[in-house]
Amino acid sequence: MKAVRGKFYFGGVHPHGRKELSQAAALETMPAPGAVTISTSQSLGKPAQPVVEVGQEVKMGQLIAAADGPISSDVFSSVSGRVEAVFDGTGANGGREKFIVIKNNGLDDKAYLPPLSSPSAEEIKTRIKEAGIVGLGGAGFPTAVKASPRTPVDTLILNGAECEPYLTCDHRLMLEKSEEIARGARYIAKALGVTNIIIGIEANKPDCIEKFEKFDDIKVVILRKQYPMGGEKQLVYVTTGRKIGLPPALPADSGVVVQNVATAFAVCEAVELGKPLLERVVTVSGQAVKNPKNMWVRLGTSVREIVDYCGAEDEKPKKVVQGGPMTGLALASYEVYTHKTTSGILLMNEKEAAAYEPTPCVNCGKCADVCPMHLMPMNTAFYASAGDFAAAAKYGNTLACIECGACEYICPAKRPLIQAIRQTKAEMRKAGGKK
Amino acid sequence: MIDNTIVISTPPHVKSRRTTRGIMGDVCIALAPAAIAGIVFFGYMAFVLELVAVASCVATEFCYYFIANGGFAKKCANAVKVCKKWLKQFDLTSVVTGLILALIIPATVNWYEVIIGGIFAIAIVKMFFGGTGKNLVNPAAAARVFMFISFSLTVYGKVIFGPLLDPASEGAILSDATNLSGYLLHGQGSALSNLDLFLGTGVRGCIGETCKAAILLGYVYLCIRKVIKWWQPLMFIAVFGLCAVLFTGFSYDTYKFDISLFLPSILSGGVLFAAVFMFTDYVTSPRGLYGQICYYIVGAVLLALLRYLTKIEVASFVILIMNILVPLMDKYLIRKPFGYVKTKAEKEGK
Repeated sequence: MKAVRGKFYFGGVHPHGRKELSQAAALETMPAPGAVTISTSQSLGKPAQPVVEVGQEVKMGQLIAAADGPISSDVFSSVSGRVEAVFDGTGANGGREKFIVIKNNGLDDKAYLPPLSSPSAEEIKTRIKEAGIVGLGGAGFPTAVKASPRTPVDTLILNGAECEPYLTCDHRLMLEKSEEIARGARYIAKALGVTNIIIGIEANKPDCIEKFEKFDDIKVVILRKQYPMGGEKQLVYVTTGRKIGLPPALPADSGVVVQNVATAFAVCEAVELGKPLLERVVTVSGQAVKNPKNMWVRLGTSVREIVDYCGAEDEKPKKVVQGGPMTGLALASYEVYTHKTTSGILLMNEKEAAAYEPTPCVNCGKCADVCPMHLMPMNTAFYASAGDFAAAAKYGNTLACIECGACEYICPAKRPLIQAIRQTKAEMRKAGGKK
Repeated sequence: MIDNTIVISTPPHVKSRRTTRGIMGDVCIALAPAAIAGIVFFGYMAFVLELVAVASCVATEFCYYFIANGGFAKKCANAVKVCKKWLKQFDLTSVVTGLILALIIPATVNWYEVIIGGIFAIAIVKMFFGGTGKNLVNPAAAARVFMFISFSLTVYGKVIFGPLLDPASEGAILSDATNLSGYLLHGQGSALSNLDLFLGTGVRGCIGETCKAAILLGYVYLCIRKVIKWWQPLMFIAVFGLCAVLFTGFSYDTYKFDISLFLPSILSGGVLFAAVFMFTDYVTSPRGLYGQICYYIVGAVLLALLRYLTKIEVASFVILIMNILVPLMDKYLIRKPFGYVKTKAEKEGK
């Protein structure tokens, strides 16, 4: 359908995209590494429980850790080979995680699920759960849960905004696999029982907009180039005009379900090929890496191998980030392994990762102006620095924060606002979640 | 290779290039046209006062920082270290304060009075409250009020500041506020046309406040650089002009409002300068959108009302009054989060 413009939305920032670094690099497949180290914490909720023993032979796509609880997801082997070890280690974010090491025998013996032809809604839902698909945008919320909403929904929104700077993985996927994404979206729509499919694409990807205009059953909405346009609440408002309530309200309560385009692609592969989620597109970018790339990377590949494959470091990185630069995680070592949600590996040089010293807050109010949730981050920071977290949450409305990082991006005093917000949230949770 | 030089922090990992120092530099640039216009109209004395005011403010800030950070400790190296530290954190706020202070006083003020004003502005109004970002009221406005009260009681001070206090008895040519008084008292202005008021030709007044064209130039620059929001001074000026017409322009004979008063009231005195450079001061204006709207409207109404009642230029006083109300606005005028819906209990007014 002909693309339409999205609604106007107050707030947001315009960081330098730097997408030109990796935008032109077509998708390529990174060779499977000699051994993969797969974490069992691949989604929100509880980590999965390992179901393989050390020394056991596994095939590519075989279940190695089973979901534990409703908001957990199954984990599959991304190579064929022998389980070398199951150990407790430190995850990328510093927390304890359980890892399963599988030595690759290089054969890629596949043990996929049986492909489905013209599946029913129930079959699709089961398949999404069986394939261990989670939201590939970054949060890692299991797709199976989203596919069975607690309230009736009437619209499926595909998130193709990719508003984070640097990242181009969704862009390349939309460009090269638009057919598959559309089919995947139709499967999800069928599972949800809706016919209304909308895709939101930022205006800086005209080639993708053109691709999706071809489909008659998908409505394309052009989003203004603005961060965080791909935030769930912002995307729903811009494309449909509906507002999602504050937590614990879900998009489904407003009658919509939001899925990332990469998730739609994974659903398509799971249904048509029976392939579980065991690889994803990762953008390797930044000015400190030699050859920026967009490539298919197996789950559990170490960051060191990814960086080496991309021609290693061009210059010494100042910051290594997993994910996008606005919400991603700064890594302390290369011995970190890709997750289902790893959308990018960024090697930033001294100039990009400008580490400023914080100066006193001058009360300019820019953080409140750009906040997409219309909060008052400076109040949170002010009260949190005094240790009064109840006041911080009250006057800053911190509990509604989506942690997009726009406030800290714009802050001329370079105050650590996100840190204060996270601390306040943690303290409020400790205090019993009282508002 | 990853080693100890790597930086680990919470996101976001990219930040805007804007710094406090950069913003204050922009304000200095925006103030430059007004400062130059002042030198053109009032001669070298205006230049001396601007220089003295800035030097006094920066020196006061440095001395305060030096003493507070133990610059007088026994070792000499310590003093050098403190100086380097000061240079590193120096963010040009004191330069802005000094420049604004020089631009809102008449050129006939003695230079040593400006030094005292600068010390008062920085040491007492700003540093005593915790330095940059912590001051309760606008340092320049507070210093102006301090100078006005302290020095207008002396004989020569009466000549300088006098007409402000008693417009009827003193000559009507000393300050452009007097031109305004003409309107306020008699409903008619002096010989000055709106164009004269706009360009500042033939107007007696404060150094930076006379040439409105220069102030507008600064306003445009600040808006382009997004230092201030374009609607803030405009809203202030519009509300103020309408209120001035409402209060002074009403004729009991014809029961009509004299709209022609609109332009002279906004073009005389320090209203325009205050609206662009002083009300918009980050530190002493509200943080949120609703607070800002309230701040500019209440400030404009208050200024028009006090001007009408007192017949003198009271912009600095109104700024101080509004500054003190800012914490209240910050606390109670908070935007509701996006997607907020009233709960049942709130709807019933509990």
